Amino acid sequence: MTKQQANWSPYDNNGGTCVAIAGADYCVIAADTRMSTGYNILTRDYSKIIQLADKSVMASSGFQADVRALQKVLAARHLIYQHQHNKQMSCPAMAQLLSNTLYYKRFFPYYAFNVLGGLDSEGKGCVFTYDAVGSYERVGYSSQGSGSTLITPFLDNQLKSPSPLLLPAKDAVTPLSESEAIDLVKTCFASATERDIYTGDKLEIVILNASGLRREYMELRKD
Amino acid sequence: MSIFEYNGSALVAMVGKNCFAIASDRRLGVQLQTIATDFQKIYKIHDKLFIGLAGLATDTQTLYQRLVFRHKLYQLREERDMKPETFASLVSALLYEKRFGPYFCQPVIAGLGDEDKPFICTMDSIGAKELAKDFVVAGTASESLYGACESMFKPDMEAEELFETISQALLSSVDRDCLSGWGGHVYLVTPTEVTERILKGRMD
Repeated sequence: MTKQQANWSPYDNNGGTCVAIAGADYCVIAADTRMSTGYNILTRDYSKIIQLADKSVMASSGFQADVRALQKVLAARHLIYQHQHNKQMSCPAMAQLLSNTLYYKRFFPYYAFNVLGGLDSEGKGCVFTYDAVGSYERVGYSSQGSGSTLITPFLDNQLKSPSPLLLPAKDAVTPLSESEAIDLVKTCFASATERDIYTGDKLEIVILNASGLRREYMELRKD
Repeated sequence: MSIFEYNGSALVAMVGKNCFAIASDRRLGVQLQTIATDFQKIYKIHDKLFIGLAGLATDTQTLYQRLVFRHKLYQLREERDMKPETFASLVSALLYEKRFGPYFCQPVIAGLGDEDKPFICTMDSIGAKELAKDFVVAGTASESLYGACESMFKPDMEAEELFETISQALLSSVDRDCLSGWGGHVYLVTPTEVTERILKGRMD
């Protein structure tokens, strides 16, 4: 008799794509709002973006139950930090916290593919990109999720900022203006929606700059 | 590793205004090792018909040899060149012949048909044709190519602009794929001439 294998998995992939771009004095974080399982759509209106602190916004694709759990842990840890230090966590600090939180579950990971965007202590845009177990890097732009393989080469080409593939590592931010970066993000998602079945419905864009946080929405194809 | 990813390849064809472009990378690898950096993946069948073959290199070479054989016979019998649509059907038939022991290839066919109307198509390894009006992609870098082409493509581009677009799409896509790259090979075909150009990209 052959050994019986488990056919129940604790994970599921709810699909979706996230993108973040860092500018000289702004940061754009965007994600689609489709949540799927297999070939079915669960909802067309699910936000994958959360504001963790004044100047830190996280977008996560992958298994949304794990994403929710992760968001709760980070929010709780941030609250404790605020009580102990009487100030908001900076974006680089939140980046390190996210990494540590993910690695804590190294042997039963959060199935979450994250991009963290925000403003650093000098007011410059910063984007941090992660794998599922917390390996992270500060970059000028990043894409995660089902549409990431479609979007990333296009961003490499358009952003005219030093690619993370270059050595030595160069200063990351793009010279594009805020409105140019937003238009670029919209183009990326329109293209990804055409070719990736898990991306579509609506695009949520969060823009962080010196004046604060603002949200924009764009309709995407629903097929 | 999948058998389709053994050698590595990136292929793309795009339609322009009364012209087409077909481009490939130049790498031949054996899994992670690079063996050649000038490997030809696009072949000319006749002046207005090109075929690019992605996938396992031995199968692409064998398939090409069989196709040349069949086209030469056709030329002898019909005293003319094959139309792209007909050629695509031939490729599809040859692939389906091997339905239960297939060639591990994905072809990209591009040509100028009647009245020099551009024709492009791709198919899977057992001959399922996919006709497209804008662009077709194949190879290990296909997902990246889909994203890049979808964003950069515009209908009815002139030859020079089409060349720029297909080159940028190819280079940005292979830079994100370990198994393809080492430059690019672009053929730009109009009713009157064929231009072949080598692109210099990241040599890794």
